[in-house]
Amino acid sequence: MMTSFFDQFASPYLLGIPLILVAMLLPWLLFPAPTSRWINNRLITVQTWLTGRFTNQLMTPLNFSGHKWALLFASLMVFLITINLLGLLPYTFTPTTQLSLNMGFAVPLWLATVIIGMKNQPTIALGHLLPEGTPIPLIPALIIIETISLFIRPLALGVRLTANLTAGHLLIQLIATAVFVLLPMMPAVAILTASVLFLLTLLEVAVAMIQAYVFILLLSLYLQENI
Amino acid sequence: MPQLNPKPWFMILFFSWVIFLTIIPTKIINHIQPNDPTQVDAKEHKNDTWNWPW
Repeated sequence: MMTSFFDQFASPYLLGIPLILVAMLLPWLLFPAPTSRWINNRLITVQTWLTGRFTNQLMTPLNFSGHKWALLFASLMVFLITINLLGLLPYTFTPTTQLSLNMGFAVPLWLATVIIGMKNQPTIALGHLLPEGTPIPLIPALIIIETISLFIRPLALGVRLTANLTAGHLLIQLIATAVFVLLPMMPAVAILTASVLFLLTLLEVAVAMIQAYVFILLLSLYLQENI
Repeated sequence: MPQLNPKPWFMILFFSWVIFLTIIPTKIINHIQPNDPTQVDAKEHKNDTWNWPW
């Protein structure tokens, strides 16, 4: 029996192995290696099409030196979207609800974009701290605000993913509990609640994909500023 | 809220990056997108597909 609604976010252990490891390690069996033939199977064709279209879409606004990040972004997208979606299955653990994992990805990648900007074009990178056409009395305050907003980016990036997935899983669990409690007392209301649960699950599938995409999109925007 | 607890943060950071850097890129880079086949009597050959830049 669950002692708390938040227990689902603590990594379970089986035989002394933290299942967060298993949850991160096993999903890649769903990505078989494509053959060198012209014709692949349906799964691989969809995956090739998806990575290709996604990378194309993401790299279009970046200039050519930014294209070196294509593989990194495509890999991170596949990583996040797979873990998010598989985490929606019942009785599974979602590693991307862990703040430490999301910050572990957000901070180094954000720092990489900032360091690249400072190394390659320090004037332009520092110039982002002051928008053009600012009235002179506002300049000191604005530079402070922009600096804070620059340094809060990795925090927002990590917390956004954590908060969205946590909220979704919590809502699903709350409504599912309500369905079970209501079923013996008010079957009609319980069925209505179950249909709400179904719609919410659809929404959460969308959220799982959108949040993975948003994470990569924001990283690519940070990169675009600095390259 | 256990998901906000950063306690094994180094292990999570280490293992997630190991998995992210070893398994996934090797799988993603295998997805090549060759040009669409053209007919033998085609006047022009379109080469507008995108591939990894290296």
